[in-house]
Amino acid sequence: MSRGVPARRLTLVLGAAQVAAAALLLGFVELALLFWGPAPHPPWVAGLFVAGAWIYAGAGVIAWLRRPGSLMGLLMTAGAFVWLAAGLFNTTVPVLVALGLIVTTLPIALVIHLLLAFPSGRLRTRAARVTVLAAYATALIGQVPRYIFAPGGPLQVEDAPGLVEAGTWVQRSVGAVVVAATCILLWRRLRALAPAQRRVLAPLSIYGIFAVLLIPVTSGIGDVIGAPLTQAAVQLMVLALVPVAFVVGAGRGGFARTGEVDELGTLLGDGGRTELADLLRATLGDGTVELLFRVPGAAGWVNSAGVGAIPPTASGRRGVAPVELAGETIGAIVYDATLLTRPDEVRDAARVVALALDRERLAVELRVSRARLVEAGDAERRRISRDLHDGLQSRLVLLAVQAGVTEGTSPELRAGLEAAIDELRDLVHGVMPAELTERGLPAAVKGLADRMPIGVVLAVEGFEERPAPAVESTAFFVTAEAMVNAVKHARATELTVTLARDAERLGIDVRDDGIGGAGAGNGIRSMTDRVEALGGVLRIESAVGAGTLVHVELPCAS
Amino acid sequence: MRVVIGEDQALMRHGLTLVLERAGFEIVANAADAEDVVRKTAAHRPDLLVTDIRMPPTNTDDGLRAAIEVRSRVPGLPVLVLSQYLQRDYAVELLESGDEGVGYLLKQRVADVDRFVADLHRVVAGGTVLDPEVVAAMVGRHRAEEDPVALLTDRQREVLELMAQGRSNAAIAAELGVSEKAIVRHTSNIYDELGLGSSPDDHRRVLAVVRFLSA
Repeated sequence: MSRGVPARRLTLVLGAAQVAAAALLLGFVELALLFWGPAPHPPWVAGLFVAGAWIYAGAGVIAWLRRPGSLMGLLMTAGAFVWLAAGLFNTTVPVLVALGLIVTTLPIALVIHLLLAFPSGRLRTRAARVTVLAAYATALIGQVPRYIFAPGGPLQVEDAPGLVEAGTWVQRSVGAVVVAATCILLWRRLRALAPAQRRVLAPLSIYGIFAVLLIPVTSGIGDVIGAPLTQAAVQLMVLALVPVAFVVGAGRGGFARTGEVDELGTLLGDGGRTELADLLRATLGDGTVELLFRVPGAAGWVNSAGVGAIPPTASGRRGVAPVELAGETIGAIVYDATLLTRPDEVRDAARVVALALDRERLAVELRVSRARLVEAGDAERRRISRDLHDGLQSRLVLLAVQAGVTEGTSPELRAGLEAAIDELRDLVHGVMPAELTERGLPAAVKGLADRMPIGVVLAVEGFEERPAPAVESTAFFVTAEAMVNAVKHARATELTVTLARDAERLGIDVRDDGIGGAGAGNGIRSMTDRVEALGGVLRIESAVGAGTLVHVELPCAS
Repeated sequence: MRVVIGEDQALMRHGLTLVLERAGFEIVANAADAEDVVRKTAAHRPDLLVTDIRMPPTNTDDGLRAAIEVRSRVPGLPVLVLSQYLQRDYAVELLESGDEGVGYLLKQRVADVDRFVADLHRVVAGGTVLDPEVVAAMVGRHRAEEDPVALLTDRQREVLELMAQGRSNAAIAAELGVSEKAIVRHTSNIYDELGLGSSPDDHRRVLAVVRFLSA
């Protein structure tokens, strides 16, 4: 199966649709019971429970489809049935009323569970697990006195209003402690989050706490029916909108959509149009995912730019999943450990991407070795240039001097020696200009500008520190090539050269006022190779009649 | 006449020694690094210092630094610096260290013995000698920009160019095939254009050259 929807995704969609349909159907059944039976309460109030259930079901299905790896969707969908059950005490069928009475306050516990489990759906800490357990206990066990000692219910054992009051007091008190614990846990978690995630989670948590606090503070959910109708409606709607807040929060970035690890395989087959790291970010729903590659030689670990990286180790919030192929570690996925439900999800992804990562590793390795070649070549050029100058050129000058001070030397010999010296000087300059080695890029380009037969406006910015030698010489040769081309081919009358360096990049612009329409000649092609070997880009804009701009960017983080 | 040579390369030092001896100089000391140049020049008080720009310790422009240092200690000491490549900044810095008795030439000019010896004498006599290539680069540069030098006529620029090379009015007149009187007229027009009012002619001459180089 190379195209289309993978089987597991299809199963997921079908499953979600079935659950949604079930919630919808049961909701209609409940509405029918409310409207057609001799209901004790206005049926529209009871209808709010059904509306709440549908909202939970809808939000749950959306969350489920968007993040199959998270349990949030499942929790919310389950919540829909809790709401349907809670609404049943408005009916007149005794067994249904009994069920409704048992689960009346369960929706509040559910909201606490959702709040503490977002976004992974897992309760990560012991404190969170204890709090949620306490919330469910308060909702289910704490509710018991309120239906076995209350008058008129189907579950009544004894009519004891005092015990009902006491039970309600205990339930409220324990509930208040649980809510307080929830608030503390949410606060602590918010503080530990990165700012981007905090922006998403903060409004969500605040709304959740507000919703949870609202009910116990004003009245118990079981008292809703006795309360003024508008108040009841507001309370129910506030609670019902909690899952909507989660879905909105999940869609607002930070907790982006995740795909399935299985899907990765299909996506990887699309001809490599998407960056592997981007694919993993989308699949794992973690925008901070980074790939590291293990390359042979001294470099060890490098990132996708070919820059040496620290060997990855899991620390704090950064998790590391090694990628192995044929028993050899070839790379690693570095991810945000606080964001993902299960570490094995990343390990699954690591297995799926192993081949693709190996391919990318080879590309990175190639880039690193090309850069090494450029570096080695330049070092050799510097050596040759120095040797020619210090050796051969000096020797020629000495010969010329000896010829000059010797009586009777033919003028042709002297002229020939001088011509040889001139030629050698040009050659040495072409191999590697001494002013570049000794004085750096701006000085060398300035010297170049001085020798141009046309006017050159040169602007230099930020060269307090010299870039790496390979970057410097590449920048120089590209600039020289572009300047010479402007004179030789573009019939330019003026050149503007801009050299700008910041901490990350070295940018070069060579702009002329010539005839434009420049194609990539051999010179520029070899320059492009050089620039790309160092991980840079070279771009030429040359519309006919509009001059030519050669733009180069080289990474030069030191 | 006594001379100190600053040159760390044996071949070049040998070449310089040959030329200087033939020109009648007495070589009182050879210096092999920048510090050595300053020390030996101060100790020997020669009539001329000839030094390479590239010298130990950093093998960049240490020789130039030494020459400027020497001129601040012994004002007016004639200095000729030799450079592997041309940098306008070098010439400007050197001229700023005092406007008499300075020369800036490419190393390879030593090979043209007769001309080099003439340049040496001009520097010793307090003149200014600049490599023709530096001067040529300046001409191209001034064409491109809005500055007083760009406003000069072609003939005026030609004259200024030769002045920058350290030629006398008579030499310029001979080179251009006009009368010396015509050259005097040109130079005075050049001073006017460059806004160099009334001051001794020699001084204005150097100022014009500095203006020409550093604009």
